[in-house]
Amino acid sequence: ENITCTKNYLSIYLDFWFPPTFLHVWRLDFPSCTSQGGQRFLVKMAAPLTLLLIVAVTIRAALFRSSLAELIAERVEVVSPITAWKRVVEGLALLDLGVSPYSGDVFHETPLIIYMFHFLVDYAEITFMLADVITAVALYMAVKEYNKQVFRKQKFALEADRYPMDSLELIRSPKEMYYVPLKVAMFYLLNPFTILSCVAKSTCGLNNAVLALFFLSTIKRNVLLSAIFLCLATYQSIYPITLCAPAMLYFMQRQYIPVNFRRVSFWWFIVQYLFMYLGSLFVLICLSFFLLGSWDYLPSVYGFILSVPDLTPNIGLFWYFFAEMFEHFRLFFLCVFQINVFFYTIPLSIKLKEHPVFLIFMQLAVISIFKSYPTVGDVALYLAFLPVWSHLHRFLRNIFLVSCVLLACSALFPVLWHLWIYAGSANSNFYYAITLLFNVAQILLVSDYFYAFLRREHHLTNGLYLKRKDGSEATLILK
Amino acid sequence: NINPCVQIIIHLLSVISQNSAGQFFSSGHTNNWAVLVCTSRFWFNYRHVANTLSVYRSVKRLGIPDSHIVLMLADDMACNHRNPKPATVFSHKNMELNVYGDDVEVDYRGYEVTVENFLRVLTGRLPPSTPRSKRLLSDDRSNILIYLTGHGGNGFLKFQDSEEISNVELADAFEQMWQKRRYNELLFIIDTCQGASMYERFYSPNIMALASSQVGEDSLSHQPDLAIGVHLMDRYTFYMLEFLEDIHPASKTNMNDLFKVCPKSQCVSTPGHRTDLFLRDPGSVLITDFFGSVRKVELTMDAINLTDPINPVNGEEQKEVYSYADQLPVSEIIHQKPKQKDWHPPDGFILGLWTLILLVFFKTYGIKHLKHIF
Repeated sequence: ENITCTKNYLSIYLDFWFPPTFLHVWRLDFPSCTSQGGQRFLVKMAAPLTLLLIVAVTIRAALFRSSLAELIAERVEVVSPITAWKRVVEGLALLDLGVSPYSGDVFHETPLIIYMFHFLVDYAEITFMLADVITAVALYMAVKEYNKQVFRKQKFALEADRYPMDSLELIRSPKEMYYVPLKVAMFYLLNPFTILSCVAKSTCGLNNAVLALFFLSTIKRNVLLSAIFLCLATYQSIYPITLCAPAMLYFMQRQYIPVNFRRVSFWWFIVQYLFMYLGSLFVLICLSFFLLGSWDYLPSVYGFILSVPDLTPNIGLFWYFFAEMFEHFRLFFLCVFQINVFFYTIPLSIKLKEHPVFLIFMQLAVISIFKSYPTVGDVALYLAFLPVWSHLHRFLRNIFLVSCVLLACSALFPVLWHLWIYAGSANSNFYYAITLLFNVAQILLVSDYFYAFLRREHHLTNGLYLKRKDGSEATLILK
Repeated sequence: NINPCVQIIIHLLSVISQNSAGQFFSSGHTNNWAVLVCTSRFWFNYRHVANTLSVYRSVKRLGIPDSHIVLMLADDMACNHRNPKPATVFSHKNMELNVYGDDVEVDYRGYEVTVENFLRVLTGRLPPSTPRSKRLLSDDRSNILIYLTGHGGNGFLKFQDSEEISNVELADAFEQMWQKRRYNELLFIIDTCQGASMYERFYSPNIMALASSQVGEDSLSHQPDLAIGVHLMDRYTFYMLEFLEDIHPASKTNMNDLFKVCPKSQCVSTPGHRTDLFLRDPGSVLITDFFGSVRKVELTMDAINLTDPINPVNGEEQKEVYSYADQLPVSEIIHQKPKQKDWHPPDGFILGLWTLILLVFFKTYGIKHLKHIF
């Protein structure tokens, strides 16, 4: 059977270069091979994955032991007032002195973090490394499963002859998708942003782990776990609530519930999912109340995230605006900025209702660009998804510009911070310019991928070489 | 059989001696302090430094020691590079009197002379590291002489060319001194333009004030010295100093004579004074009560028995016991080290959390479904 499998894959590979023989080869027994091949994938890929994990853990351990750890832990791009490790330690110390950690403007993390680190504060480094490992492994398994589903859908579409002939070169093969999960894990673990975030012991790593587990449980079609992990992610920072929509769309797609406002099954599923989600959120909030016996974590955590009182510079868009705003207009602009995060959910869900996983990627990107206190850890999470869409590279238009701008901005952040704060020869405008440029580059990246994705979908239904009615070559633009 | 004439003379003598004895014990002070402040800097304000140093000289001559004088000079004229006679400050033309000399002790010099430091000296609110020579360590038996000179206006006095003290601030500072029992009686002399405005707002008891000019008038300087090139003194202080030259520690001159110093013919401005807050009659106040440090000594040739203990007048007098409200758990802090109690999450929370986790685990991974997930 192994030989049959390899022969199948080889012939498919060959057939890409010899289109006429394509169709009859495709119909060999593929499903059994897939499951066996799946096993072989797992066995074959365990070694590179383990090697990757060992390398990642070594890098992080080496950085933990060096003197760079304190330097990185106080950089504003890596830690924010919500995620800083210093504040967690301070909160725990306040608790040992008998004072609520939420009194004053010190600690803005959730009570469950208090509970977790009450026992783990001596093993914090291992905890954060473990969180990174869990994130990488969860993403790996999820992307593997997702690839299988993509492949299966593609097979059904091919058998139904839904693709025009000239767009067959856009079809993805298992061989090119073989290394994608490993690349995803690698993109996450070896990303300098992730390493910095882990060494700084920013709780963003924990948030990323929960989001990765949510992604894994969604792909694995476990509604309860997906609702619970999403609830945990929302409980920690409010913005993942927008990921409800892609999760629900994904489940409805898997359970063959049509996405139609008039169907009862649609609304019934939404009710079920929201019940599980809101129920677990309610349970979590009540449980947090019982930890400290008071409700003051609510204004400290959620009030802090929503009302943005702390204007320490970070890589986000909020601080500069709100530093120079008149008090009279503060509430108005606060609402505008916060709505901006949640606003893209509905239009994107309508456009991408067939592709909920891409919607998850877009939502994660939107959250990490527009949230009130972003850090590079949030950026690292959605950057890890990029290998999943590496097949879009022929449609991406701005990749050179975006990568150059991202690299340049990442290099300039510490430089301009030093010039502003220590040398005194720059001012906040310089730093905010780089922040703006960084966010513009991220937005350009995300919109580029969006364009490429939609264009590929369009080509898959309408053929690769588009002609206008008079036969001349047409171009596609994203409106 | 004594001649009635002689009887009258003896009676008169006893009355006079009783008066002098009465006068001897009438003032309630036991120590004297002086705060002498010159608030102007720059070479052309030489005369203000000379004013202050002249008063310093007189006060020292009459007995107040350096430890009881707080001398604040905003600029150094003696060692100014424009001074043709370095290490000297003259108060009379033709360089007759050098008020600087060898034993001047300046407590606040140069930029230390600020409104804040002046008020801190008066009210006693100095940081614990301040040396004794910079403090006004007066008590409720101190008579204090405060002499200010510089440039002023209606209601303010300029310090160092960059800040001002207002008459309200000064009045409040004196009230603080009164409430903290930092003086018995206070004599306030100011030699600036419109100086009378500075004592208009005083409201604390036992303050007597003199000023060189009324509101709307300027105080003028006396004579320039052509060798040094600046005016050496102000008129009011010049004539006050001439008056003080005749005072010696035993003189009985009183305040009414000080009020007559420098009439309009000599001073061009009209000096003013204020005595309504003062409890004693100015005629009974000696100049040496403020400008000198006269120790009241009673010589006796008899032995005095001090064996009787002082009995309380009222046998049942209860002394009120004052106690602080217990603001800090001092006994706990001092006598017992509180046990460092670590915070533990409540048991109910741990139980609830892990029950939920186990429930979810078994719901998801019910044993028989384990295979399908992986």
